[in-house]
Amino acid sequence: MKPILEIDAVSKRFTRTLDVAGRVAQRLGAKVREETVHAVDSVSLTIAPGEVVGLVGESGCGKSTLGRVVAGIHSASAGRILLDGQDIAALTGAERRAATLAVQMIFQDPFASLNPRLRVEDIIGEAPRVHGLVTADALSDYVDETMRRVGLDPALKRRYAHQFSGGQRQRIGIARALAVKPRFLVCDEAIAALDVSIQAQVINLFMDLREELGLTYLFISHDLSVVEHIADSVAIMYLGRIVETAPTEALFEAPRHPYTRALLAEAPRLDQRRRQFEPIRGEIPSPLDPPPGCHFHPRCPKTQDICRTALPALDPIVPGRHAACHFWAET
Amino acid sequence: MTLAVQGLATHFFTHAGGVKAVDGVDFSVEPGQIMGLVGESGSGKSITGFSILGLIDPPGRIVAGSIRFKGTEISNASEADFQRLRGNRIAMIFQDPMMTLNPVLRIDTQMIEAIQAHETVPRRTAWEQSRAALGLVGIPAPEERLSAYPHQLSGGMRQRVAIAIAFLNKPDLIIADEPTTALDVTIQAQIIHEAQKLTRETRTAMIWITHDLAVVAGLADRISVMYAGRIVEQGATDDIIDRPLHPYTVGLLGSVPSANRRGARLAQIEGMAPNMLALPPGCAFAPRCQHADATCAQVPEMAAVSGRTVRCFHPVSRP
Repeated sequence: MKPILEIDAVSKRFTRTLDVAGRVAQRLGAKVREETVHAVDSVSLTIAPGEVVGLVGESGCGKSTLGRVVAGIHSASAGRILLDGQDIAALTGAERRAATLAVQMIFQDPFASLNPRLRVEDIIGEAPRVHGLVTADALSDYVDETMRRVGLDPALKRRYAHQFSGGQRQRIGIARALAVKPRFLVCDEAIAALDVSIQAQVINLFMDLREELGLTYLFISHDLSVVEHIADSVAIMYLGRIVETAPTEALFEAPRHPYTRALLAEAPRLDQRRRQFEPIRGEIPSPLDPPPGCHFHPRCPKTQDICRTALPALDPIVPGRHAACHFWAET
Repeated sequence: MTLAVQGLATHFFTHAGGVKAVDGVDFSVEPGQIMGLVGESGSGKSITGFSILGLIDPPGRIVAGSIRFKGTEISNASEADFQRLRGNRIAMIFQDPMMTLNPVLRIDTQMIEAIQAHETVPRRTAWEQSRAALGLVGIPAPEERLSAYPHQLSGGMRQRVAIAIAFLNKPDLIIADEPTTALDVTIQAQIIHEAQKLTRETRTAMIWITHDLAVVAGLADRISVMYAGRIVEQGATDDIIDRPLHPYTVGLLGSVPSANRRGARLAQIEGMAPNMLALPPGCAFAPRCQHADATCAQVPEMAAVSGRTVRCFHPVSRP
């Protein structure tokens, strides 16, 4: 099947340029320099129509930045995002607009991502009206239908966001994204801020919407159990790079990269009691100053000399599986 | 017995009406024991912790109940008594370590201050104790860290410092309020590992407040589940996680993805947590409960059922 979305060697760098005072200080010999963060470092990923791809990693690994590049909120510093085989950045006019609307994003914090001064009907109805997807007299019915689709009572559409609970607000955010009839949703930690009993409701909603609307998801999360449940395939990120990709079941059955293995072993599970093992040491290093070679080598239990100098490629190990480790075969 | 709480009720008297944030909570913790206090936002789990430490400010007030710490009643203790207890015999770890740490003081200043507030020791001895405490929670190069400011440390390091400060005076009880919620999985595993090791070595009792059942499953000896200000189920970890009886506990555990077949719809608890200003009469969970009937218009009492206590008229029967 032809992929719906391809991420082709995408990098995103953030540079803090020096201000006037900084440049003067530099001229005078002070040790100040421009700082560059390689938030995303040459990441490639292919997503088939109807697929749910889980993107997993810890804070600072670049997963949210990648999601924002895919959704068009950030532009890529290098590389291309292809929708239906076409580079989104190269499109113009109506085609560009259609491509932009086709990819929508759902954010983590349902308290910060909704405009507090707008009524729910405007939050949901503004974009389809502006983009001419519905006529003015059909808008009200369209908003009602969209609200019902995400499990909200249309009678509440004159209310403001603050009059809703966290779970309901997340549903409003989902309705806003759905209102422009997207084909691809980027969900960035979309359930992390919700209570446990509400999380299940929203996960179910995502799965229902996938069935009804044929949506494709890039599901960004730090929560492995959620990703294991809804994703078809998983990509694990560490410090700006993808270190392993695999079909979900294969990954959880036999993780290949030492970092994936650590993540799986250390995620708290209900069936684990009085754990005794020694967790992996150290913390994710600063992306301002990443270690050379394999980024994971300072924490890795299997580090050899080559890991300190050579960057391991994301090698195909079996069809559909890739791992970026010099020693994936030895385990 | 390190701590025995009985009938604790903490209410808030707001303009909008009274909020029974904690309404009749009973539990006890023994030396070296870890109790998981589990609930969703607004269930009263944090207010229970604050009540034990005398940290309830107006419009909130402890309106009933007793809190006995090593046999002494402390629910009506004076502020001077609490100052002797807090940070010394009872310590607290917050979700955000910046609640514990002063951003404009170096780590060593803060740690030495915490020791000298309760004990007359020379500064040098206090410094040595601080260094040892940082080493205990797995901080590499503790001497360097001691002269750092909090903003120079990562989130995980700050939380370790906060834990080191909590353990400094070898307290009898530590109340940890969501201490790993803001941390990454691998860092959370490290912190849980250290906390478990320290409580075992020092025989410190611990109350671990969290919304995450999976965390306390691997950590706690006993679990108390709170809903709308009351404990609804309490017992040994294995009983609560493997054989829950209260419909709310059953629902919470059933809605966790790993309890469901991959890709299937999750079993979900319908509805949402009740408005604490307008709690339903009787059992607060009844409007969301599949087993609810007319009897649930009364508040159920905590009753002993197969080795644990449950607040329910219709505990879920097991095959």
